[in-house]
Amino acid sequence: MRGRGGGGRGGRDGGGRGRGRGRGGGRDGGGRSGGRGFGRGGGRGGRGGGMKGGAKVSLEPHRHEGIFIAKAKDDALVTRNLVPGESVYGEKRITVEADGEKVEYRVWNPFRSKLAAAVLGGVDNIWIKPGSRVLYLGAASGTTVSHVSDVIGPTGIVYAVEFSHRCGRDLVNMAKKRTNVIPIIEDARHPARYRMLVGMVDVIFADVAQPDQARIIALNAHSFLKADGKFVMSIKANCIDSTAPPEAVFAQEVAKLQQEKFKPYEQVTLEPFERDHACVVGAYRASKKPKAPSAA
Amino acid sequence: MASLRNAVRRREHKERSQPSERARFGLLEKHKDYVLRAKDFHRKEKTIQTLQEKALTKNPDEFYHRMISTKTVNGVHRPKSLAKQYTQEELLLMKTQDVKYILCKAQSEQKKVDRLQAVLHGLDKARENQHSYFAENGDEVNEMRGNLTNGEAPSSSSDLPLEVNRDREAAYNELAQRKERLEKLKSMVITMSMQKEIMGKGRKRKMKSDELVTPSSMPVFKWRNERKK
Repeated sequence: MRGRGGGGRGGRDGGGRGRGRGRGGGRDGGGRSGGRGFGRGGGRGGRGGGMKGGAKVSLEPHRHEGIFIAKAKDDALVTRNLVPGESVYGEKRITVEADGEKVEYRVWNPFRSKLAAAVLGGVDNIWIKPGSRVLYLGAASGTTVSHVSDVIGPTGIVYAVEFSHRCGRDLVNMAKKRTNVIPIIEDARHPARYRMLVGMVDVIFADVAQPDQARIIALNAHSFLKADGKFVMSIKANCIDSTAPPEAVFAQEVAKLQQEKFKPYEQVTLEPFERDHACVVGAYRASKKPKAPSAA
Repeated sequence: MASLRNAVRRREHKERSQPSERARFGLLEKHKDYVLRAKDFHRKEKTIQTLQEKALTKNPDEFYHRMISTKTVNGVHRPKSLAKQYTQEELLLMKTQDVKYILCKAQSEQKKVDRLQAVLHGLDKARENQHSYFAENGDEVNEMRGNLTNGEAPSSSSDLPLEVNRDREAAYNELAQRKERLEKLKSMVITMSMQKEIMGKGRKRKMKSDELVTPSSMPVFKWRNERKK
């Protein structure tokens, strides 16, 4: 697929670079130019302002279904925007024209989303694909949830659980525009409180950063996760035990999961994006047959 | 009886002094002076003996990296200075500009770095994280070895037009340069605000390197506790 880079920039980052460029010359005429020191530096591209009109964009599907790679002036993981024309957290949007039809994609920032960091870290399978039913624990403001909602598409459903009311407000606002997101402002430690809202799910994604996160996931899995369902858990070593080395903390969390009928498949650390974080992927009450090899 | 005996005046014994013909030898040495001198002599003798022994049993192949990374000046070992070396340009900025101005520039640079990082994910670059698999038995290990996908870059940019690739290359360059500049600015902000604190109120002293629990490249100061009310 190949198209034109679209004008869809998020409200927050709109024109940021273009502005800096235009002003520079005039101000330098003042008496302070001696102190500017580093100058503008090299490496500014030919045109200002990101992927504005005219840039060629190459868009190819990622190994994981529902995720794409946009290549142009930028080099980004993107998801197909379920609500064209809207940014959720000020992220950049890219419009691509294919067969006379305009499709919009949103850039998935791995510095803000652990799931994106895990995907870029080369995890074999995230198990979240179009049509999946996902229980998302620790949804926060819904930045990653919005991308999960893009990935699963209109046929899937994501139940986003968040305890904090402040974050939950943004989550609810995001969910208003996305019909496949069901926001739940409840404590994930008590799945019974939202059992009426949540059906059986295929995947649990947990980013709760609590010392007892393994127990939280187990409680939710016992209530909602189907047999042979999958889990994706992000571990922040500092939140579990800030004195132990991170590798030991990861191993300890995995051991806790194994006691709760979980079978971990793989683990990736989220290195360039997050420090001392890991993402563990596995199955719950796995059938005897080992997992299908993922197609590269 | 003792008190009676004390009551009787006895002759006062005076300390013998150096005879005048031997005055050129200085004060007359007494036994307690001799003891001091002897002890000092034997201490020095012992030091020399130890050093001689060390020199005799020296390993000619002994090597530490410090031997080439640092020097001795007039026989005294000078450890390398840990203080950060600023360039002329940075020093000029630190001398002429306000700390708040530099802080503002650092924050603006941080924003630009964040903005660039949000769209430059380094998809073609080699991964620097660790990827591990969990297996329960040997069969599973063998099976997993067969279908490892780790390490392969998810995409290639070879089919893109040359100018697009060039633009992207330029964007990555810009990001690297901005990151470097951000580091410099941050370091300058820290140094400048530290200097300002040192020039400010309160009695303080510089901590010696052996007083520090965690050694630091920056100088460490300790303020005296002052009762506020």
